[in-house]
Amino acid sequence: MRLDEVSFRYGRRTAWVLSEVTVDIGDGEVVVVRGRNGAGKSTLLQMMAGVLQPTRGRILDRPSRVGWVPERFPAEQPFTVSGYLAAMAALHGAGSPAPWIDRLGLAPFRTVKLAELSKGTAQKVGLAQALICRPQLLVLDEPWEGLDAAARDLVPDIVAEIVAAGGSVIVSDHRGDTARLPEATEWTVDGARVTPERAEKARTGADTPWLIEVAAGDGPAAVAALRAAGHEIIRVRA
Amino acid sequence: MSGARLAPLVTMRVAGFLRTGRFIPPLLAALVLLSILYGGGQADAAEAYGVSALLMFPVLAWQTKLLLDAEPDVQRRLAVVALRSRRREAVAGLLAASVIAVPAVIIALGLPWVVNGVKHAHAGTGLLLGLWAHAIVLPPALAVGAWSSRVIATTAGRATAVLVGGAVLGLVLGLSGSPVPWLAPPLMGAARALANGIGAGALGGFTGWALVWSALVLAGYGWLRRTRA
Repeated sequence: MRLDEVSFRYGRRTAWVLSEVTVDIGDGEVVVVRGRNGAGKSTLLQMMAGVLQPTRGRILDRPSRVGWVPERFPAEQPFTVSGYLAAMAALHGAGSPAPWIDRLGLAPFRTVKLAELSKGTAQKVGLAQALICRPQLLVLDEPWEGLDAAARDLVPDIVAEIVAAGGSVIVSDHRGDTARLPEATEWTVDGARVTPERAEKARTGADTPWLIEVAAGDGPAAVAALRAAGHEIIRVRA
Repeated sequence: MSGARLAPLVTMRVAGFLRTGRFIPPLLAALVLLSILYGGGQADAAEAYGVSALLMFPVLAWQTKLLLDAEPDVQRRLAVVALRSRRREAVAGLLAASVIAVPAVIIALGLPWVVNGVKHAHAGTGLLLGLWAHAIVLPPALAVGAWSSRVIATTAGRATAVLVGGAVLGLVLGLSGSPVPWLAPPLMGAARALANGIGAGALGGFTGWALVWSALVLAGYGWLRRTRA
């Protein structure tokens, strides 16, 4: 997918939010969008998701299945969790949302109305509605905002699954939670420009060692599995 | 497949409109207006239906606006992403507004028979002409309602001005002495023709006029929706 000389402003008399942006996101790529509040991160994400139309320029090769998680899920709707997700699945032309209801821990809230959910649970519904179409492009606007610890840990796994299936993921973040996505490429939005930077892995140095702690009984098996997967083990300490 | 997905969005929007109780104010307004219309004794069915259609014009426009505004803006954008098209999302909104207009029109057509407000002579012809009169009111009402929806009008004040202005001008510009009757949908003209006896040619002419007027106004709505999600 490519943004080709894309510019955007909300009205004829307003300033350009984004100006002459040309960026690519490849299959299997994760992009983290950084920038101060109001820099245009959400605007960029909404253009990539197909919500906003560029004022100038073109967006090429957007995948057919797109999931968008808005920064704030619109919970002021008269539907239950399962009713809403079933309706969104029908809109996407997707199958049953039940697997995502279970996986995101929404099962106890199936019959609860959206307006009665806590912010974190509502955000999980927002995540689920984006995932039910098995997106080839997943656009996450501050996805960790309001989520509980279990769900926060789940997001990198979901991102990894989409990438493994050849999909692309673009994430905005202003809290530093995207450290959970160490392989991501970084785009910085500033002054209506988007600057792609080297992959985080390259920026931080591919040789920087990681410290991984596992339960004592699982140690030998974990070491063997990591070695089998091609990782270099520098040190093992009980 | 994508065309088929309009139906779930139409269903979702109608459900949202009904469950939030937004249908109640326009329903009450319709009942009040129709009660006033039929409270003064019996009239010829075709003539009465012509006036009924005029009264239903602002009600149907208001109902359309309420339906299009029922869901949060972000949910409308989620629908755009799901359907991968702002145009299909906008069409689904207008289809949903058409669906909720059906019971309103049925009430408008049925109420005079319940309250004995129309003469029973030529009832079948009167009913068919009444159906036609309300049918040609619906597209212009959808158009005015769409222009007053939040995504276009953006503020409550502007939305009220568009809705009230559109409804009033739609009637005033159609008065018999109007210098520019073609600027309005043919609602007043159709009502006058129904009162005086309408021919097949006039039926076709008014229908075409209503459809062309609505198509032009809805084209403007569609053009604005290209950039407004």
